[in-house]
Amino acid sequence: MWQRNWTKRSVVLVFGAGVLLCAGSLTLAATPDSQEKHFKVKDRPLVVLQNIVNGRIEVKSWKNPEVVVTSSAASDKVAVDIEQVGDRIDINASSLVDSAEPHEAEANFQLVVPEQTELQLKTQTGLILVEQVNGDMKLQSVAGDVHLKEVSGYIIVRTTGGSLVCSLCSGKLEFTSISGNATITQPALNNVNLMTTTGNILYDGDFIHTGFYQMNSGKGLVEVRFSGNDSFDLKAETSTGTVDNQATALLKPDSHRDHSTSNNFRRGVVGTVGQGLAKVELSSYSGTIRILKRD
Amino acid sequence: MRCKELEAVLEQEGVGPLPLEAREHLANCPDCQDFFADLTAIVGAARQFPAEVDPPDRVWISLRAQLTAEGIIREQAPVGLPGSAPWWQGISEFFRPRVLASVGAGVLLVALVSVYVARRPGPPTVRQASARSQPQNTETASSVVSAPAPQPSQRVRVKTESPHSPRVSVPTPPRGPMKDLSPSPSENAFLGETAGVLSKTENDLPGPSNAMADAAMRANLLTLNEFIAECEARLKQNPQDQMTREYLNVAYQQKAELLTVMMDSGRSEH
Repeated sequence: MWQRNWTKRSVVLVFGAGVLLCAGSLTLAATPDSQEKHFKVKDRPLVVLQNIVNGRIEVKSWKNPEVVVTSSAASDKVAVDIEQVGDRIDINASSLVDSAEPHEAEANFQLVVPEQTELQLKTQTGLILVEQVNGDMKLQSVAGDVHLKEVSGYIIVRTTGGSLVCSLCSGKLEFTSISGNATITQPALNNVNLMTTTGNILYDGDFIHTGFYQMNSGKGLVEVRFSGNDSFDLKAETSTGTVDNQATALLKPDSHRDHSTSNNFRRGVVGTVGQGLAKVELSSYSGTIRILKRD
Repeated sequence: MRCKELEAVLEQEGVGPLPLEAREHLANCPDCQDFFADLTAIVGAARQFPAEVDPPDRVWISLRAQLTAEGIIREQAPVGLPGSAPWWQGISEFFRPRVLASVGAGVLLVALVSVYVARRPGPPTVRQASARSQPQNTETASSVVSAPAPQPSQRVRVKTESPHSPRVSVPTPPRGPMKDLSPSPSENAFLGETAGVLSKTENDLPGPSNAMADAAMRANLLTLNEFIAECEARLKQNPQDQMTREYLNVAYQQKAELLTVMMDSGRSEH
């Protein structure tokens, strides 16, 4: 009797241990492969991140002359290589297998960089978030959105379907997308060039004197909200769309240019706000262009 | 003779028959023997390559169309590839669906950019063809303005620009009667050629590698195709609609870039 109980207890113990072991192994396998690396830099560093799998990239700045890269791969089917060559940090994430499930082919990155840093970031479907970085940057994404906050420099953003949200940005901005939207708020940009085929564009902010602003959408809405203190020449044109000018009172006839900018294939609005110091050109092939003064 | 002198001789004479001094040095110097062997191998390999590679047919066709349109050539000179295909063409056939499509997209991209850059002299300035004055379409105080129905018979002169290129302010040109500006035959041929190459490239796309990204890219390709079809249909009705032409050019460029990304994405995984 005693011996039978002991045997039963042993079997239960062994079975329990086995179950625990299996559970532990599964947990270990599901844990993302995470790593953190530190790179000392001297001058203004360049960080190049090529993420050819899915994943999010987050970049923030600090005052230390050091770049910290924290990466987490969702599975062992993703390889992450990081290399430093002088002040250049190269980061590559790639898939090790031909076909992986979307959640497996994922690598997320968190970077902390000096305030003065140049960035070249590329990902497929994750968000790219950059905050408080001063330096030229080129950000590319297929379907992921790009969020920029308090960044300055020559900023180039290219997406296929991802949208751009840019707040408190300064410098020069170029955005190209097929279906992504662009939302620019409180900018201090002196050169803006936005182009999206079907997305919408919203520019809510001041136009810097001598600045040049071009916003074009094939089928989407182009909306500009300016302040009463702004000073710019405006040209808004559409081929088959509409121009909704809600700032008629502020828009005077343009004294700087020839008015014959329309024909039978394009219609638009030309005028000057203030002294016309900046230059604003808006176009939409078949969408709506809306011009209004913000409250 | 020293090693450097032998190198100079090889540089000038090649790997052909060498002078006696060079041969003597070569016989006793293992380093130079290795160098000579490498050089011989390189020269031998180089000789295996074809002396000249002909560009694809479409390059000749496009070039000829442009030259004819500009009046530089008039006669119907036979243009095309030589009749007999070299042995290496069999290998190139093997790669044709992907590599040529990719190269085609690249060439197209460069061509589009060239045209695009060449056509951005300044803001568009439109003059009515006739000397009589036309009512201004520009409105400075309207609340909502709709584009009117186009009139194909009316011809306009347009200084072209791209919808998203930086534009440089130019002085106002003198007023007066202007000549008509219709799209040149070469421009139309170019657009047709572009559409053809892009369509072929699209058909040769590799299979998906990153399902999520691939789905997004294909959805956007569909979007672009719809927009292109819309622009093409309008342009067919109104060949002088410069704004539509500009948007069509940009859409073609975006499509070429997207197809290149899709092919690169698929190829990297296979």
